[in-house]
Amino acid sequence: MDNNLSILIVDDELSVRDSLSNWFIEDGYSVDTAEDAKVALKKIEAFNFHIILVDIKLPGMDGLELNRRIKSINDEAVVIIMTAFASVDSAVQALKDGAYDYVCKPFDPDAITHIIRNASKTIHLSQENISLQDRIKSLVNVEDIIGESEGILKVLEQVRVVAGTDSTVIINGDSGTGKELIAKAIHMNSSRRFFPMVIVHCGAIAENLMESELFGHERGAFTGAQYARKGKFEMADGATLFLDEISTISMKMQIELLRVLEAKTFTRVGGNREFKSDFRVICATNRDLQAMVNAGEFREDLFYRLNVFSITIPPLRERTEDIKPLSEHFVKFYAEQMNKGTKHIGRRAAKALNNYDFPGNVRELENLIERAIVIGTGDTVQLKDLPLDHVAAKPTWESIQEMEYHHIQGILEKYDWNISRSAKALGVDRVTLYSKIKKYKIEKNK
Amino acid sequence: MSRIKIIPLQFAGVEVLEQMLPLISARFKIETLVSTHRMDLTPFFNPVRSQYNANDIIQKMVPLVDEGDKIVGVTDLDLFIPVLSYIFGQAYLGGSVALVSGHRLVNARYGLADDPKLFSERLLKCIIHELGHAFGLKHCLLPGCVMVSTTYVEEMDQKSDQFCRSCKIQLK
Ligand SMILES: Nc1ncnc2c1ncn2[C@@H]1O[C@H](COP(=O)(O)OP(=O)(O)OP(=O)(O)O)[C@@H](O)[C@H]1O
Ligand SMILES: [Mg+2]
Ligand SMILES: [Zn+2]
Ligand SMILES: [Zn+2]
Repeated sequence: MDNNLSILIVDDELSVRDSLSNWFIEDGYSVDTAEDAKVALKKIEAFNFHIILVDIKLPGMDGLELNRRIKSINDEAVVIIMTAFASVDSAVQALKDGAYDYVCKPFDPDAITHIIRNASKTIHLSQENISLQDRIKSLVNVEDIIGESEGILKVLEQVRVVAGTDSTVIINGDSGTGKELIAKAIHMNSSRRFFPMVIVHCGAIAENLMESELFGHERGAFTGAQYARKGKFEMADGATLFLDEISTISMKMQIELLRVLEAKTFTRVGGNREFKSDFRVICATNRDLQAMVNAGEFREDLFYRLNVFSITIPPLRERTEDIKPLSEHFVKFYAEQMNKGTKHIGRRAAKALNNYDFPGNVRELENLIERAIVIGTGDTVQLKDLPLDHVAAKPTWESIQEMEYHHIQGILEKYDWNISRSAKALGVDRVTLYSKIKKYKIEKNK
Repeated sequence: MSRIKIIPLQFAGVEVLEQMLPLISARFKIETLVSTHRMDLTPFFNPVRSQYNANDIIQKMVPLVDEGDKIVGVTDLDLFIPVLSYIFGQAYLGGSVALVSGHRLVNARYGLADDPKLFSERLLKCIIHELGHAFGLKHCLLPGCVMVSTTYVEEMDQKSDQFCRSCKIQLK
């Protein structure tokens, strides 16, 4: 994906210029290079680069002087100084002269990524002279969120509002309603989108490993370890921390979480370096946290910290208008995925889907359709491709005649309009069946 | 017909690679195979850094490519490129050669319990990611997409081995 930001790399070493160019091109930046300050200044006068990476040691004019010159030409450009460990002092001078940050060569890819993401965020924010919240008129960058119901439109409106803020969000919804999808939508429409969304499955963390999982551990904490481990809080610096199934969090983890939410600092296990982490929390739950607080199963102080903004996704059975567009969306997706050509949904199949109450919500609908595409043949998803026969039979008619009509139609469908087998199943002869078909004008449906 | 060739270069788990072939093939809809080549990697060792230069190895691999193919070297050795202290893998946008290292994907190196299944999942994601670059894809921001840029091993566990819809469309 292109991000519409430009980078100029100023370094006298060709291999450095090449490596960094490739790295940033793959990251979606448009990249230019210069081998010395003179060439760099020419390019900077001709073009407004967003980010300029400057090696401190350059032939001729050095990086410190170049940094000052850049500031007089384009003071909005973000200048990042590249330095060897030995010359960190001069990098500090560069910061005083207005450089954005510095990195030591060779860079830790994690460190440079972090600096560049921060810079991108700063640039994007400054480009928006109106607030982010006003800017997000329509949601972007999300895999299609399908739905036309009032329920889902209200959810999307809340996403739009909250994405422009940094506040903590609780997403409530039964299993499979799309909580993770909505969390992604918030993240992708926030200024944190350049950073990842770090997911923690709260219930899945073993108690004895929890601290290492959340805070990481230093290399020395385990014999034989070559590298330090980063915990989830560290990974989430600058990012969105998605706490999935927050209701399953242990009491011990509730305490740790509360502490970090308040202090925003922590240390790795086996170390005493203090780490700062700036993350935004989004939680998901399928249980009523307030009720858990009342029952003493969830800390009240943590609940109030988390419950700043709350979004509730209604279950699918309460927004049946969404079943049709969702089904069509999944049919299109899976048919394409499995190279099955174009497919549409048969009338009786559609009706059965509409009548079903989907305890597993959208995920269940998705799974049903995926399975139907796997087993189905032809260009139509038929009722027999769905494990919903019983649902279709749920009577919405009252007279015996109507019942007979629907029953015969169902049996014909079941036996693929094989008259002999259908007649046998109905316990009538073929002639009787033919006359009923005629009487009720039953047609083979698509 | 173009193909994807996976080339083990000082890599201990050829069976691991063989098991991945159908998955890789499905992602790119191209025949994928393991192909062995002898290549001496000692010239690419940097004694100061105790690592191997990925860019130089890739240069050396270029003649191994048949017209229209993509090749991916997979190694257990720790890789670097001149300006970065390590890399999981390297490719060029639209290029035909990629290189991936399993070195930093091993749990034990971080003081965590060994997990061969997790290792091969990570390796698969790396291979598909670098191949994605070779097929012209840039990084993606959508959480879960295999083209999300990851610079720390456990970040990799946060994404899938699948392309998101928009990456899939670009891949066509
Ligand atoms: N409105 C929607 N439009 C399109 N796809 C949706 C929608 N809602 C949910 N889905 C899809 O349904 C599946 C389940 O969604 P998701 O994982 O976000 O639900 P969840 O609430 O987190 O479920 P669980 O409680 O089981 O963790 C996903 O594949 C998601 O893409
Ligand atoms: Mg979920
Ligand atoms: Zn990449
Ligand atoms: Zn993607």
